[in-house]
Amino acid sequence: MVKSIIYTLAAVALCIGFFIFSEWYVEKQFSEFSQALDSLYMKIEDKDANREDATAVRTMWNDRKAKLQIFLPHNDISYVDYWLSEACGLLYSDNFELALGKIEVLKEVVKNMPSAYGLRLENIF
Amino acid sequence: MALVLVRTTIIFVTLLLVMRLMGKSQIGEMQPFEFVITLLIAELACIPMADSSIPILYGIVSIVTIFILHQTVWLLDLWFRPVKDVVCGKPSLVITKDGIDVYQLKKNNLNVSDLIESMRSAGYFNLDDVYYGLYEANGSFSALEKPEKSSYSLALTLVDLGKPDRKNIAACGFDGESFNEFLKTQGTKMKDVVAMTVNGEGRVYFQSRGRKYKILNIEVPGNW
Repeated sequence: MVKSIIYTLAAVALCIGFFIFSEWYVEKQFSEFSQALDSLYMKIEDKDANREDATAVRTMWNDRKAKLQIFLPHNDISYVDYWLSEACGLLYSDNFELALGKIEVLKEVVKNMPSAYGLRLENIF
Repeated sequence: MALVLVRTTIIFVTLLLVMRLMGKSQIGEMQPFEFVITLLIAELACIPMADSSIPILYGIVSIVTIFILHQTVWLLDLWFRPVKDVVCGKPSLVITKDGIDVYQLKKNNLNVSDLIESMRSAGYFNLDDVYYGLYEANGSFSALEKPEKSSYSLALTLVDLGKPDRKNIAACGFDGESFNEFLKTQGTKMKDVVAMTVNGEGRVYFQSRGRKYKILNIEVPGNW
């Protein structure tokens, strides 16, 4: 009986700890990536962005992606992949105006994605 | 991930509630919450296994949540009697010394045929072979048997909660008119008959609504 109670409490503690960590970790990864997107956006606005900037953001995302796939459904992660690839493709061909639109969408996706998995009433139902 | 825990808990509570509302006919040899856990665990384990786009952590968190819920229900069962009644239900006394308790049968979404089937599974082939019969909270049937069996012949159900079984009525040598005549002599109508069974020796178990059962004897063609 005591053993059962201990196991149950341990499971509850483990779950709570894990939930706090996963929420913090996902939020942090997306927030850092969002900052990189913001600076890329500003560079595109100034028509100052180049292939290296796009590649740097892409590399940054790829590093984070591998870890985020532990916590988030892979289909949602590939959504970011899709928009980032489109934006990078346009930047590689110096199409700044269209790239700006794609980065705008990507910023919105990245901003909203962590909250889609947070403990909120709208996500529960 | 906390979302997975909350969603799993909501599904668990909903399933448990539905299982309790469905009555004892839907569960077999398990407590309702154990049955719900069995239903959920298989599915929760399968989804991340089959769909590689879902992180395996989702499955693990859901299963750990089920474990926590199981332990919580189990501890509440032990410590608080009213919680046990709500979660697991109470035994239902369906056969008393007066006969079948229709209210208890209906409350558990059962009919006389289900009751007779449960009795047969427990080794009783006539409704009056037992003093008391009850469905336990886990859906199994228990009975306090009479020392002497009433007969050693299989009983056919002629009427089950006001619904006649024409084939069995004919097998007992009744036609529509003679059967109505029989009911008239018992002072009742078809819709008021709770149960009527006849065995191969012509021994009739007859119970109408609101009355104690009675045992009659009739002539039956042949002996089955």
